[in-house]
Amino acid sequence: MIDHTNFTVDDVLAATPVLELSSVRAGYGRIDVLHGVNLKLAAGEVYALLGPNGAGKSTTLAVASGQIVPSSGSLLLCGRDVTGVTSDALARAGVCLIPEGRGIFPNLTVTENLRMATFTGTRFNDVQDRVFSQFPRLRERRRQTSGTLSGGEQQMLAMGRALATNPAVLLIDELSMGLAPLIVEELYDHVRRIASSGLSIVIVEQFAHEILGVADLAGIMLHGRIVETGTPAQIADDLTGAYLGARHH
Amino acid sequence: MNKVNTAEGANAQSAGQPSAETMSSARLDQLRDEVAKLKVTGGAANPERLAGKWGIGLTIFGFVVAFISWWSAFNAGNYADIYRSQIFGTIGIGISIVGIVIWVRNSLTRYMRFWIIRLVYEQREQTDRLIEALERKLP
Repeated sequence: MIDHTNFTVDDVLAATPVLELSSVRAGYGRIDVLHGVNLKLAAGEVYALLGPNGAGKSTTLAVASGQIVPSSGSLLLCGRDVTGVTSDALARAGVCLIPEGRGIFPNLTVTENLRMATFTGTRFNDVQDRVFSQFPRLRERRRQTSGTLSGGEQQMLAMGRALATNPAVLLIDELSMGLAPLIVEELYDHVRRIASSGLSIVIVEQFAHEILGVADLAGIMLHGRIVETGTPAQIADDLTGAYLGARHH
Repeated sequence: MNKVNTAEGANAQSAGQPSAETMSSARLDQLRDEVAKLKVTGGAANPERLAGKWGIGLTIFGFVVAFISWWSAFNAGNYADIYRSQIFGTIGIGISIVGIVIWVRNSLTRYMRFWIIRLVYEQREQTDRLIEALERKLP
């Protein structure tokens, strides 16, 4: 029998994952890439999804952001089944994806890219204040065409634009792709600051070193399944073996 | 699992600023409200495929109704029955047209989506090539 004196409705709501993928199978056309993925993201948690190329990490984020509808299984947001809801509706609700390759408009300036973040109704001046306070370097380059920014600056622009939409759940795909280690370290400092504000984050990475210092929970993905979940310390020990196929055949 | 340090949160609150925990739970409440507003019955896997099936189904159903109406008009004995069959036939054709429109709209949406994605990719590649060419030209 449940003892109602020890918890409140708020406790129950707080225990419900903010984002959940339940037995999700999904892919492209007739080819399934995900074969029963289970993932739970608690409120304020940073979940690192690790795995080699082709494991299905980006597809998992595409399902979580509503870009791909699963062929079976469910996508839940705050406990409510939102499978099949369009990606723009999820974006307006507060699920924000920073895609692999940044997803900025290369032929637009920094300012014009940030103007894209006003679809939530936030005033453009507020968007600029929010982004430039987090990333002062972008203020200096606000009139520069974003395709000509360095890789690190483009990633800052992508993160700034995402944060300007005031997301409740942030999905980041391969933050470190194509960037120098020093820049990656700087970007993960930003991720730490963002995480400390209580935002729930799922971050996908091939290279685990930096992200394991930021994450609360980590999962290893292989061949379309999350084969292991644990704390970063637990996962770090098993990572090399998992990538090289020593386990989980 | 929450990384927020509640001592820091308490200090921030006493300084008149919202703590990370307060901000997070306010934003979560907002997310719950937004999700509750979403029109979803739950478990609607691939609604586009469903719309396509409805389109084809309605088209076939409409043609069947029209055919049955034509057949009964053909075999009718009096004008009243003929007129009744004509009305049903018209309704059947109308249902078919609705089905065709749904199917065409669905197909066009998918086609345009692939087309726009391809446009975006090609534009990005073009920009990358332009930047490479400019970098080669500049000293």
